[in-house]
Amino acid sequence: MSERTIVFHTPPDEVDVVHVALASLWAQDADVDAMDRMMFETALIELVSNVIEHGDSQTTINCTLDLAVDESTMKAVLVDTASPPRIDLSPREMPDEFAESGRGLAFIQALVDDFDYRRAGGSNIWTLNKRRALLSL
Amino acid sequence: MFTSENVGADDAVVRAVGKLNMVSAPALREIVLKLIGEGRQRIVVDLAGVDFMDSSGLGALVGCLKAARQGGGDLRIAAPGAQVLMVLKLSNLDRVLATFETAEDALDV
Repeated sequence: MSERTIVFHTPPDEVDVVHVALASLWAQDADVDAMDRMMFETALIELVSNVIEHGDSQTTINCTLDLAVDESTMKAVLVDTASPPRIDLSPREMPDEFAESGRGLAFIQALVDDFDYRRAGGSNIWTLNKRRALLSL
Repeated sequence: MFTSENVGADDAVVRAVGKLNMVSAPALREIVLKLIGEGRQRIVVDLAGVDFMDSSGLGALVGCLKAARQGGGDLRIAAPGAQVLMVLKLSNLDRVLATFETAEDALDV
């Protein structure tokens, strides 16, 4: 299993810190299928972007992101100190082609197998799980 | 990072490098809208140097596409990588955004 934990603060940190952490994870776990990486990275960046964009901008949000990859699953747990989000996590349709926003959550739901949210201890806890493609033997 | 190059009297190519996300998307919108304001009709966004695009980047492309068409022109994209193609397909934008292998091809039709 490969694991990474990063702690970041927004503002000023941006999603780039997550790209850097994933690049380091993929460098260690080189056998992860390219499509799996793309799907997981896209979902995770959408999640972190959402937290950065919709978090309470009056105060700095502290974020802790745990990433783990084993032979069957890729998992991310993001804990942030923002106010509880006012978002609807029920399954959603992809917005029409000419929409300029509103695709983030639809992307996450389409790209990973499990997407969960809970509030605990004054923090938001977001979990993404993606099963890895079966490698042909 | 974005650079633009005028092609002939009516067209322009915008070359994007890096990640097209919530950080960089506003700059793409700004550079393309400026070109449209200057009367450029056909704008090609060359994505050869883009290794990642999220829904913010996609939203900026859609906004630019609509602005170009409102002005009687068009917006096309060139050289999308595998991740960019994946999000285009996921959002069904592959149906409305004309995609070409190179910026030259995009202006050749």
